[in-house]
Amino acid sequence: MLPSESSVATRRKSAGWALMGSELAVLFRRRRTWVMLAALALIPVLVAVAVRLSSAGSSGRGPAFIGQISENGLFVALVALTICIPLFLPLTVGVVAGDTIAGEASLGTLRYLLVSPVGRTRLLVVKFVAAMAFCLAATIMVVLAGVLIGAALFQIGPVTLLSGDTIGVGDALLRALLIAAYVTVSLLGLTAIGMFISTLTDVPVGAMAATVVISILAQVLDSLPQLDGLHPWLFSHYWLNFADLLRQPIEWSSFGSNALLQLGYVVVFGALAYGRFASKDVLS
Amino acid sequence: MAQVWKRWIPAAVGVVVVAGVAATVPLAANASAGLPTKSAQDVLALAANSSVSAFSGTVEQTSDLGLPSLPAGVGSSSSGSSGSGSGSTDSASDGSAAVSSALELLTGTHTARVFVDGPSNLRVQVLDQLAERDVVKQGDSLWLYDSSKQTAVHATAAKPAQDALPTSPEQTATPEQLAQKFLDAVDPTTVVSVGGDVTVAGRSAYDLVLTPQVTDSLVGAVSIAVDSETGLALRVEVTARGAADPAFSTAFTDLSLAIPSADLFSFTPPAGTTITEKTVTEKTAPTAADGSSAAAPHKTPDNDSATDAVPADAKPIVTGTGWSSIVELPAGSDTQALTSSPLLSQLTTAVDGGHLLSTTLVNVFVASDGRVFAGSVSAEALEAAAVQ
Repeated sequence: MLPSESSVATRRKSAGWALMGSELAVLFRRRRTWVMLAALALIPVLVAVAVRLSSAGSSGRGPAFIGQISENGLFVALVALTICIPLFLPLTVGVVAGDTIAGEASLGTLRYLLVSPVGRTRLLVVKFVAAMAFCLAATIMVVLAGVLIGAALFQIGPVTLLSGDTIGVGDALLRALLIAAYVTVSLLGLTAIGMFISTLTDVPVGAMAATVVISILAQVLDSLPQLDGLHPWLFSHYWLNFADLLRQPIEWSSFGSNALLQLGYVVVFGALAYGRFASKDVLS
Repeated sequence: MAQVWKRWIPAAVGVVVVAGVAATVPLAANASAGLPTKSAQDVLALAANSSVSAFSGTVEQTSDLGLPSLPAGVGSSSSGSSGSGSGSTDSASDGSAAVSSALELLTGTHTARVFVDGPSNLRVQVLDQLAERDVVKQGDSLWLYDSSKQTAVHATAAKPAQDALPTSPEQTATPEQLAQKFLDAVDPTTVVSVGGDVTVAGRSAYDLVLTPQVTDSLVGAVSIAVDSETGLALRVEVTARGAADPAFSTAFTDLSLAIPSADLFSFTPPAGTTITEKTVTEKTAPTAADGSSAAAPHKTPDNDSATDAVPADAKPIVTGTGWSSIVELPAGSDTQALTSSPLLSQLTTAVDGGHLLSTTLVNVFVASDGRVFAGSVSAEALEAAAVQ
């Protein structure tokens, strides 16, 4: 290999890492990102305060686990996740994923990015990894805010699992982290869809809205019993099965099926996004 | 232009690979192994000599009995409203909640994890979304736990629970237990044959087909997949007469023959749980019999053991034999729970002299005077039995 060639390769590789770093910095320095994370953190706070203020006790209604909050603050995180998963998390992920390519295109910065020694594939990968980082941050934010506000307003103690067994606080926090990982993985399929839509248009708002609409559409389809043959193929099918991590022993099969399904979505829509982005004339 | 099309190639490959994997993996799992041919008698003997006493697995149950699918948690909402009721109505509401819960389990699809170690240790976990219903049996002690309602029922059996609760969930939780009831019912009017090899839960199995020859039964055929190695029943499918697809099916999707961990069978109710203590004597047994006889399609072959547990004043009367037998529950406080269930009144249709709950496998006729008739026979046969 000629020295000049290898130095070009090194430069390209380091350019990829530099791009990764700058992409993450741009994402997490953006005010919009922090507003969304703050809004997500507000949900467990609202839940905890509402339960704290109401003395009615559990009437058997409301989201799952809400009756257990007054006995154990750790359940705030679970209630908040149950509330966030159908709408708020897909909404924020849709905003970030829909913005990936279309956002750069609308600002006119996409062509400058491609002028620097970064291939289109690498740019897509970097954008996807940054969106994944946001999924993780969003989920961790909900869980963390839930645990903290729960600890502040309620007592923290051994946690009752769905199976009726009781585990200690340390084990419970470990399972909370596992659940955060599960929910993050759950959102990757939607992220890939959002990124593909983002390559189709130069209008980021359109891509964001389409992604959110698709996530809602998938959940509506998932709730129609007439379409039960379709259900296992919908990316939202396993979203609420994070509760399988709260059984004793842990039921790992839904974690596996969910990861496999999301991987399928990432491969298909990642490939479609590549096909579209690599063949696209970048004019802006 | 050719360049542009080439860039779509990875995209097409990605889509094709995912579609291919998605299509072939389920096929590969169902590939049948070439098992040595066995006669129906051999397979019956294989099933009868099954020595598996400890296993753990996942069971999936699917029912398509022609009933509307009920929203999960129907049982919990009706019990929530009964909480404020006065003492006298509590037992009736409890009963109706039990009926709703039993009916809910017989509609749609349910997944349960089952852990068995010998005849005395059993744990069944019905995996609902964001909730779980548990049955834990250790020796004479039986716990029923519901995570969404945060309630637990503790039953201590005066005699072994096996006899006391004839068709309660822990008796029919596994395909094995259900298959046993059908195999016990094999009589001269039943044609037993062996179908092709099948694969259930990754294990190769013989497909034993029981076909009742009596024409007045609603049951068309019962297909039992018998594990070729151990004789364990891996799947039971009940097909209604004249139907092509099974109306009721329960099957292992995953099975391990290792002995489950012992601490699964010791249950301590968590803090904050409402606990109801029950001593299973003659008095409470009919409730269990009611709940399951109301809708359980496998009830009919089980008449004999059901009669053991029921007190003399409310003894079910069995008319007819085999597949077309009819069970009659005399009017009493126990049938009141059945008739007072608001859910049941929605599912039944009013007919001459009572109400009829009609499914593809079993019909239940609640006469106006409170008597209940159930059987895998036509509605006319039940009404005729009520007139007699």
